[in-house]
Amino acid sequence: MNFELTEAQQQVGRNAQTFARSHLDAMALDLDRCGVFPKGIIDELAGHDFLGLLVPMASGGVGAGFINHIQVVEAFSRSCPAIASILNNHALAAHAVAQWGSDAQKQHYLPPLAKGRKLGTLAIYEDGPSPGIGPDPLLALRQGGGFTLTGTKAFVRNAGVADLYVTFATLEPTAKEPRLTAFLVDADTSGLTIGPGLDTMGLKGCPVAQLFFQAAALGPDALLGEENGGSAIATRLLSLGSLAEAAQTVGIGWAAVKHAAEFATRRVQFGHPIATLQAIQTLLAEAATDCHLAWLGIQRAAQLVEDGAPFEIHAAMVKAFVGRFGSRTLIDAIQVEGGLGISESKPFGVGGTMPLARLFRDMAGTTLLDAPADFPAKLIAESIV
Amino acid sequence: MDLESPAQQAVRSAAKEFVANNIITRASEFDKSGEFHLYLLDAAKASRIFAMAVPKEYGGLGYDALTQALVLEEWGYGCAGMGTTLAASVLSIEAVLIAGNDEQRRRFFAPMLNGEIGAFGLTEPEAGSDVGAGTTTAVREGEGYRINGAKCWITNGGVASVYVIFAQTDVKKGTKGLSAFIVERDRPGFIIGDKEHKLGLRSSNTVYFEFKDVQVPAANRLGQEGDGMKIAMKTLDTARPAIAALAVGLAQRCLDECVGQLHRRFPDRPFPGQTLQFKLADMQIQVEAARQVVRHTMMLRDAGLPFARESAISKTLGTDVAMTVSSEAVRLMGSGGYTSELGKFMRDAKVMQIYEGTNQIQRLVISRALLAPTAGAAPLPKGVAS
Ligand SMILES: Cc1cc2nc3c(=O)[nH]c(=O)nc-3n(C[C@H](O)[C@H](O)[C@H](O)COP(=O)(O)OP(=O)(O)OC[C@H]3O[C@@H](n4cnc5c(N)ncnc54)[C@H](O)[C@@H]3O)c2cc1C
Repeated sequence: MNFELTEAQQQVGRNAQTFARSHLDAMALDLDRCGVFPKGIIDELAGHDFLGLLVPMASGGVGAGFINHIQVVEAFSRSCPAIASILNNHALAAHAVAQWGSDAQKQHYLPPLAKGRKLGTLAIYEDGPSPGIGPDPLLALRQGGGFTLTGTKAFVRNAGVADLYVTFATLEPTAKEPRLTAFLVDADTSGLTIGPGLDTMGLKGCPVAQLFFQAAALGPDALLGEENGGSAIATRLLSLGSLAEAAQTVGIGWAAVKHAAEFATRRVQFGHPIATLQAIQTLLAEAATDCHLAWLGIQRAAQLVEDGAPFEIHAAMVKAFVGRFGSRTLIDAIQVEGGLGISESKPFGVGGTMPLARLFRDMAGTTLLDAPADFPAKLIAESIV
Repeated sequence: MDLESPAQQAVRSAAKEFVANNIITRASEFDKSGEFHLYLLDAAKASRIFAMAVPKEYGGLGYDALTQALVLEEWGYGCAGMGTTLAASVLSIEAVLIAGNDEQRRRFFAPMLNGEIGAFGLTEPEAGSDVGAGTTTAVREGEGYRINGAKCWITNGGVASVYVIFAQTDVKKGTKGLSAFIVERDRPGFIIGDKEHKLGLRSSNTVYFEFKDVQVPAANRLGQEGDGMKIAMKTLDTARPAIAALAVGLAQRCLDECVGQLHRRFPDRPFPGQTLQFKLADMQIQVEAARQVVRHTMMLRDAGLPFARESAISKTLGTDVAMTVSSEAVRLMGSGGYTSELGKFMRDAKVMQIYEGTNQIQRLVISRALLAPTAGAAPLPKGVAS
């Protein structure tokens, strides 16, 4: 196989790096401090065509592939992982419409999603072992040709700021193996309310909250794909999401390794820069190795996505791998910087703000396992047993 | 548990109760605000727990090392930030126990008996692991010394009443020119600077301070001129397992919180799948191992046996375990963990791998004891004591 990117793909990657440096570096700290969704940046992202990457050209998007998507997520994560996360949630929602939507749904949603006039996100998780079987599942009822939704979705990202929630509900809870059904839910649907933003450790500015549905009425045109066809959609979106989160892990990891390496060349103890110590070199080398190998795996899986080949096992393996090293990268990078590494502000004698504490918190929010279905080992084992 | 004496059990259960009533209830609030938990000094006043390391003959509680570890483990279970305030105060007490004469002890311990706290100031901007690189000086002048310089990252630095400070009395001699002094907070020229905003242990007060021509009498010098390095290292030997005890408490708390979250979210499934079950088991294995190493270290110390190697091992193991267990806990509990107090424990644990000597410095000590047990065979970098 060929890992070389086309000139067009490389160009998107370079654009993302330039945008990250010119727009995201400067805002990352303030966003972390205030934690308020940065509305202004959405226009900027749209203006630079980052919001329509996964939307076909015919629908007003860029029609780029998944490789470009992970490049952008990785590049943004080096500067401001919260923005990468906001973008990824949006892109996956747009992808869902592009992939499974009817012509009418595509026409209605995709142009504004591509141009940033609408922001999208996914609502998959519930507060139970898996959607449909917890204490307060989101249930759908057929009603007068359309549907009504009642129940709760948990841990929805971009909650309260999205215009479109690609929402998964259970239509036939008493079926022997209940499956999910996907709906396109507008934020202004009556009967839908958004819970208070949860207090997250990192990725501040990307709001996380519950969605409460009380007999929220949807027309027949809100159905995405087929009735009871949502589980397959959710699985695919979660697999794509795993790859994007892995790209986010790698981006945060590289940012940390590079900062720590640069710090180590300047910090002198025992008469020498600490970068000359093997103990420090080992910490940096192991983190760099993890990031590099993960990136190869991510690229390979993204290529499979673009080829239309099965990629879910690859995505699960990538998820399992980044889960093992993600937080460790930040644990070790901070260790290299010693006391200064844990500073959340501008410590004495240091010109600027130290970023690793923020990246540590962002990383913790990037490698979470959100449902037992997320445990990648199960999928991987099933593929080899 | 049965291995603890009845007296130790009584201390432990009193500490547990104190932590439940005074620490667990407010830890999150002070983590958010980052303010120093001043209320805690009042709450602890009656029990005189801040004097737990002060010997009975000086009016303190006179707890042995193992008993102190039991208390610190409970405090770490509640909040490692608040526990750090206690541990750092004990650290300053230990320095005076190691090197102070009778008069100095009485003077230094008096505030502790009254619910006040102490601090231990060794680190400087250019002298972190490399303790000998410090440039704070104490120049002999008549009946006393004049101190000039700066210290950074000092726990309790803005809230203590008495300090043990290290300064060069003979700069040319490097670590051999280091001396230790008692410095009272109200001495003119002792300027307390900004406090650090930290990833973790947020309510623990960590500050930068300066000495501008601070005069101290010769009676404030601990030991002889040039004893500073020895005093610092001996003191840190006693303090490292104390940090490990906090870390063990923190790690056990993470586990208990995980179990609580699982049972709340899945009330009808007492056992999650084996993947998660075994992860929890692995975490408990590590925590229990770390706990026993800490206790063993304390028992060596109480028996008057050498414990420097065990001290380094327990600090490294305890804080590494706390880091691993807390970050696994956040990851395994998913968004529920990430939006709960588990995130705080993970942030707190990270800081603990760095202070009281980084875990790299501990590994230097441990590997030297392994590779070259005879002194001097494999020299450590200047300034790292065994
Ligand atoms: C919250 C907090 C509270 C603190 N409280 C106190 C206090 O009360 N009193 C006090 O005196 N100090 C205190 N400190 C300071 C603390 O002890 C130092 O931060 C610590 O010793 C490390 O020094 P440094 O931060 O300068 O890191 P550096 O020494 O600059 O180390 C940077 C990195 O290099 C590594 N390194 C350095 N030398 C070697 C070597 N020879 N071999 C291998 N690796 C090496 C370190 O492990 C680290 O990873 C506190 C620090 C913190 C963060």
